[in-house]
Amino acid sequence: MSLLKYTIRRFLALIPILFGVLLITFVMTRALPGSPVLSAAGELRGESQAQYIAKLEERYGFNQPVLVQFVKYLRNLFSGDWGESLSVHRGATVAYLIGKAFPRTFEITILSMTLATVVGVNVGIISAVNRNKLKDTVIRFIALSGVAIPIFWLGLLLQYIFAFNFGWLPAGRYFSASLEDLEIITGLRLLDSLLLGKLDYFWDTILHLIMPVFCLAFVFIAGITRQTRSSMLEVLELDYVRTARAKGCKERDVIRKHAFRNALIPTITVVGLSFAGLLGGAVLTETTFTLHGMGWLVVAAINGVDYDIINASVFIMTIIFVTANLVIDLMYGIVDPRIRY
Amino acid sequence: MSKIEIKQKYYRPEGFENQFNEILTTYNKFLVVPGKKDEELEKRDFLYNRLKSKRKFYTKLNNPLTKVGIVVVLLVATWAFFAPWLSPYAFRLVAVKDPNSADYLPPSALHLFGTTKFGRDVLGRLVWGARASLSIGLVAIVISSVFGVIVGIISAYYGGILDSIIMRLVDIIMAFPGLVMIIIIVSIYGSNMSYIMLIYGILGIVGYARLIRGTALQEKSRTYVEAAKVSGSRDWRIMFTHILPNCITPVIVAVTFDIGGIILSLAGLSFLGFGDPRLVEWGTDINIAQRQIEYAPWAAFWPGFAILLAVLGFMLLGDGLRDALDPRLQEKN
Repeated sequence: MSLLKYTIRRFLALIPILFGVLLITFVMTRALPGSPVLSAAGELRGESQAQYIAKLEERYGFNQPVLVQFVKYLRNLFSGDWGESLSVHRGATVAYLIGKAFPRTFEITILSMTLATVVGVNVGIISAVNRNKLKDTVIRFIALSGVAIPIFWLGLLLQYIFAFNFGWLPAGRYFSASLEDLEIITGLRLLDSLLLGKLDYFWDTILHLIMPVFCLAFVFIAGITRQTRSSMLEVLELDYVRTARAKGCKERDVIRKHAFRNALIPTITVVGLSFAGLLGGAVLTETTFTLHGMGWLVVAAINGVDYDIINASVFIMTIIFVTANLVIDLMYGIVDPRIRY
Repeated sequence: MSKIEIKQKYYRPEGFENQFNEILTTYNKFLVVPGKKDEELEKRDFLYNRLKSKRKFYTKLNNPLTKVGIVVVLLVATWAFFAPWLSPYAFRLVAVKDPNSADYLPPSALHLFGTTKFGRDVLGRLVWGARASLSIGLVAIVISSVFGVIVGIISAYYGGILDSIIMRLVDIIMAFPGLVMIIIIVSIYGSNMSYIMLIYGILGIVGYARLIRGTALQEKSRTYVEAAKVSGSRDWRIMFTHILPNCITPVIVAVTFDIGGIILSLAGLSFLGFGDPRLVEWGTDINIAQRQIEYAPWAAFWPGFAILLAVLGFMLLGDGLRDALDPRLQEKN
C-alpha cells in the first residue's frame, strides 16, 4: 500500500513541475522574434500583407495578452485540442504531426537502447573484472571517447564511409523514395511492414536505420559501460562477494548473480534517463540523417516560429522525462527489495 | 659477573635525580603514556599526513590516461592562447575569405588539411576555433559554478521554505529538454557569443546548486559547524569558510567534466546553425562542410576531430581527478 501512496505523492509533485515548464515554454515561444503567420501571408507585400497578418493574428488570438493566451492554451490542451501548425506544415494539426514523428523516434530509441544496454552492461562487467589490466584500459579509453565524440560528426563519418565511399547504405531518410507510403497500423515502420508481410519494405527500413541506430547506440554504450564498471568495482570489493567465492560458487555466478544484481541500480538510472532523453528526440542525429522525428520537428518549429508545435513537443518531452524518473525510482524497489518507500 | 661490573652497572652518579628530571622534561614527548598528546608532535603528524595525502594525490594522478588528458588539455589551451602565432594563416583569411585559394581544395603542401568554403584554410580555422570553444566553455563554467555553489549552500544551510522554493525551480529547469531550451533562448536573443556564454552559464547553475546542496546538507550536521555556531560565527562565515571547503571536491571534478560537456553541446548548437556566425568555431565548420561531405570529407573531419580531442582531454582529466580526490576510493587502496 505504501508503494501506491508513494506513487500518488510523486504524481502530485509532478503537477507544479509540468505547469512551470508549460508556462516558461509558452512565454518563451511568444518572445521568439518573427510571427508564425508571416509565412502564411505568402506573396502579399506592404499594406495588404500587414492587414492580412493582423487579420490572422486576430483569428488565432496572438494579439491578446500572453497570460490570457496561456489560459486559453491550457484549456485547449487538456480538452485534447493541441492546436494547429502554422508554418512547418500549414493546416495540419499538431496532434497529427506529432503522431507521425513520434513513432519514428520511438523505433530508433527502442533499437538503439536495446543494443546499447546489452553491449554496455556486458562490456562494463568485463572491464570491472579485469580492473587496471590492458583490456580495462582499452575499454575505458574507447568508452570515454564515446562520451566525448560529437554524435553528428560520427554520423557524417559513417555517411561518408558507408554511403558515399562504398555505397552500401543509404545516406539518410527513413525509407527509399521509390517505395510508396505504407499503410499505417502502429506507425512503427519495421513492425507495420512485418504485419503487412512486405519484406522488401522491412529490409529497406532496416538499411536506413543501421547508421543512426549505431550512432546513438555507440554514444549510450559508452555511458552505460562507464556506469556499470564503476558500480561493479564498488560491489566487487564487498565482503559478501568474498563469501560467495569462499563457499565455492562459480566465478561466473559470483559476478552475474551476486555482484551484478547489487550493482544494477546506478546502471538502471543511466539507462532510464538516456531512454527518456532519446524518446524526446535525438535532435542532432535526426538532423544528420534527415529523419523526421521529434527532434527534427521541434527544431523546424523553432525555426518557423510555430508556437503550438514547440509547446506541445516540449510538453511531451517533459512528461517523458519526469515519468521516466518516476519509473526509475519505482524500479529500484523491484530490483532491490531492501528499498522501501 | 665480577663485583666491579655489578657496581658499575648499578652505580648512581651524583645528581642522578636532577638528570632524570631533565630527561623527563626534554624527551617528554617520546615517553609512551596512554592518552597523552604533545603539541609539537601533533603538528608534525598533521604535516606528515598532509604531505602523505598530497603524495597519494600525485601518484594517483600519475596514471597514463590522466597524463594523456593533461597533455591534450594543455595542447588545446596552447592553440587558444597562441593562435595568432601558431595558425598558418591570419585571422582575416581564415574567418572571412581567402582570395588566393579556391573552395574545398584537397590537402596539399600549402593547405595541410585542405580548404573549406570561401577557400579558408582548415588547419587555420582549427587553431583559431580553440579560442571560441575554450573561452565560451570557461566563462560559462565560472558563472555556473560560482553562482551554483552560492545558491546551493544557501539553500542547504537555511533550509525551510527558501530551500523548497529553490529546489522546485531547479526541478523545473532540470525537467526541460536542455538543447531545445538553449535553441529557443538563442533564437530569442540572437546568436551572439556573449549571450551564448550567459545562457550556458545560467542554465548550468542548476546542476551545481543541486550537487553542492547534497553534500552541504551532510556537512551541516557535523560537529564543527555546531562549534562554529557556538563560538558566535555569522551564518555567512559558517557557510563559506567552514562548510564550503569541505564540499568543494565534487564541484572541482564536475567543473572539469562540464567544460568538456559545454564544448560538445556548443558544437552541437553551431552544427544546427544556431552558433554565432561571426565566430570561427568547430561546430560551425562542420555545419558548413556537411553538405560537401561526399566530395570534401577533410573539411568536416578535422574540426570534428578537434572537438573529440578537446572534450576527451577534459574528460580524461576529470576521470583522473575524481579517482584521486574521491575519499571512498582512497580508503580502499
